[in-house]
Amino acid sequence: MITVGDKEIEWHEGMTIRDMLNMLEHTQFCAAVRLNGKLVSSPFFETKEIPDKSVIYLLPLIAGG
Amino acid sequence: MADFTLKEINTLEYVRPEIDKGYTDQSLHINLTSKEIKINLIDKKVKDKFIGGKGYDLWFMWNAVSGKTKWNDPANAICIASGPLGGTPGYPGGGKSIVTTISPLTGIPIDSNVGGYFGPYTKFSGFDVLALTGKSDKEIVVLIDGIDSKIKLYEVSGLTNDSYTLSAQLTDYFDKEKPVNISVVSTGSAAKNTELGCLNFTWFDAKRKRVRYKQAGRGGIGTVFAHKNIKAVVTRWGSVSMKSNNPADFDALKNVTKLHAGEINTLDPKQNRMALVGTTHLVPIMNDHDCLPVNNFKYGQHPEAHNIGEAVYEHIFDKGFDGCWRGCAVACAHGVKDFVPFTGPYKGQKVFVDGPEYETVAGCGSNLGIFDPFFILEMNFYCDTYGLDTISIGTGIAFVMECFEMGLITKEHTGGMDLSFGNRLNALELLHQMVRGEGFGMIVGKGIRKMKAIFAKDFGAEAAIMQDIGMESKGLEFSEYMTKESLAQQGGYGMALKGPQHDEAWLIFLDMVHNFMPTFENKAEALHWFPMFRTWFGLCGLCKLPWNDIVPEDNRQNPEPAKVVKHVGWYADFFSSVTGRKVSPDDLIPMSEAVYNFQRLFNLKMGYGTREHDTLPYRAVGPVTVDEYLSRAERYDKDLTENYKVDITGMEVAEKVAVLRKHREARYEQLKDAVYKRRGWTPNGIPTVETVKRLGIDFHDVMELLKSHGVC
Ligand code: SF4
Repeated sequence: MITVGDKEIEWHEGMTIRDMLNMLEHTQFCAAVRLNGKLVSSPFFETKEIPDKSVIYLLPLIAGG
Repeated sequence: MADFTLKEINTLEYVRPEIDKGYTDQSLHINLTSKEIKINLIDKKVKDKFIGGKGYDLWFMWNAVSGKTKWNDPANAICIASGPLGGTPGYPGGGKSIVTTISPLTGIPIDSNVGGYFGPYTKFSGFDVLALTGKSDKEIVVLIDGIDSKIKLYEVSGLTNDSYTLSAQLTDYFDKEKPVNISVVSTGSAAKNTELGCLNFTWFDAKRKRVRYKQAGRGGIGTVFAHKNIKAVVTRWGSVSMKSNNPADFDALKNVTKLHAGEINTLDPKQNRMALVGTTHLVPIMNDHDCLPVNNFKYGQHPEAHNIGEAVYEHIFDKGFDGCWRGCAVACAHGVKDFVPFTGPYKGQKVFVDGPEYETVAGCGSNLGIFDPFFILEMNFYCDTYGLDTISIGTGIAFVMECFEMGLITKEHTGGMDLSFGNRLNALELLHQMVRGEGFGMIVGKGIRKMKAIFAKDFGAEAAIMQDIGMESKGLEFSEYMTKESLAQQGGYGMALKGPQHDEAWLIFLDMVHNFMPTFENKAEALHWFPMFRTWFGLCGLCKLPWNDIVPEDNRQNPEPAKVVKHVGWYADFFSSVTGRKVSPDDLIPMSEAVYNFQRLFNLKMGYGTREHDTLPYRAVGPVTVDEYLSRAERYDKDLTENYKVDITGMEVAEKVAVLRKHREARYEQLKDAVYKRRGWTPNGIPTVETVKRLGIDFHDVMELLKSHGVC
């Protein structure tokens, strides 16, 4: 199980950030997430694997300074 | 402690008006030549049209200067205002000041939105706007004392030039018992010798028992301030509460404040964690998306960028509450204590550094090819205390470094200094030279536009290549985002009224990463709505960050998440509750539109404000050099073949660079057409008669100005 915001999601071996986003709605504007406190940006969504029991927050649309 | 003297030379006692629904309806005018102090009432028509803040600043400046006024003419005004909502404690970002003047870099109005307590304190002291004109023959300190209802002018001697120390000394001098009552505006010793001077606005950090600083950085406002011989403007005010603005509907104000602050308290720790890392989270995100300026905007990424991002600064920042306005829940104005510079007059001494923010990290770090967080702290510290804009300094030195590496300038011109990318010591030495008023630093301190002319004329450097790589537009240095792959952001910079600063429009991710605006019309719509809405914060005396840096959890379900519609609704409620003028979210854009167009007309009045001035250096649009093209060859090849249908078989790289340039430059011109049309401007970028009439800014002199440009 992983936690995304206030939701619990079933975890599977090799699950990437992209896999996780595909399981959620309205994620087309997500360019970065916080995975266990660390930033992961969209160029790494396909490759970054999520460990089991992770806590993830989707960052708001990046708005600049 | 202080070894200086203040001699009172003029005093005006006044009756302080009660604040009425966010307004005092008074302006304060100080003529530094005659030392005259005047208080005027603000006309209701001006209030309705210009709202406050930047709107008031521009209106009073418009009336102070002629089209021929230069930045260093006594007629030039520095105007400072908060706004009707400014000074609301607890509302996130609810206490900014907006400063304007005719910029030494651009010759047109520059505006800067800055934290610290000055604007709200000045309003509570009785003045919606302060206008400083003239030029004093001796160094002068202005005191606006709202507690004793007196305006005082002092001649000063023996006061240090270093902005940090100077502000601390004046805070102590004017209210030793209650330093939190004081806010000081000052610049530093380099402002006089350069055109890149910033202003430092203070507040007293009661927990840390020290004066803290925020900068009105852009466009050389500090240079104008120093040229007028103003040492400092000090405002003194006492207690502040949510009732200080005498809001029309206190309960509604309390309610909306609680909603917005509560949301930030809950969500910031889950989102950008700005209360811990400020805006340094942007460094790794920009780097990962190839948007972090590296080596004068040549590249967008560097493997060492993680050394200067949030992961490092989180541990360097001094822990504690860091709101630059009272009770701002975002609390992103961090600092570093006990930093020890390794160069300059503070070498070996422990100092507190206010910052750095993303712009300083990228400008004085990655853009110089330097990935050392402590070097950036030292640049930040000396820029602030010397009164220099970290953005123009960073972008300016980056340009110099590229010129040096290209052989356009050599050690012969730099006084023997190696100014290649990565040279920390010599980058700092340039700052120290600006203070001492000597050496190559004096040329760098003139800004990129003038440097280009000097390098060409005096050093024989090739003008065309400098035009391509000198990251300025309208004379102002770019702030720190890479725009090559975002046409919308090229427009956001190129068509920004004051020059390329991101506070008007920041559309890179919507455009480049999310492809949300595929057509010219989509982009033009965004380049209408976003600049207008961002302008609104400056009218009201607010900070923009709480609008869209922390967003509601259900925001992504909205079809237009970038607008953060729920917050726009809260801002309309905030405005209604304070001013009593009932507005809906749809009313906010027209408020800004009038002021925005007025500023464009102001540019026109000053001899600019037309299409030819909305140009960009090609580095902002595409790859200038062959190696730049090769660094992202796949991307550029794809752009040529897929978007422009060019057959690139057998093409040399130099030829590809040229063909791509032709297409990308044409595309930017097409964007201008679309944006001008959407904004109600002529193809030459001038507001039409119909537009100015619709917005109610068809004043006699505006119509005459339009007529003189053939717009009838
Ligand atoms: S969000 Fe940050 S910059 Fe804006 S007012 Fe609050 S502390 Fe200051």
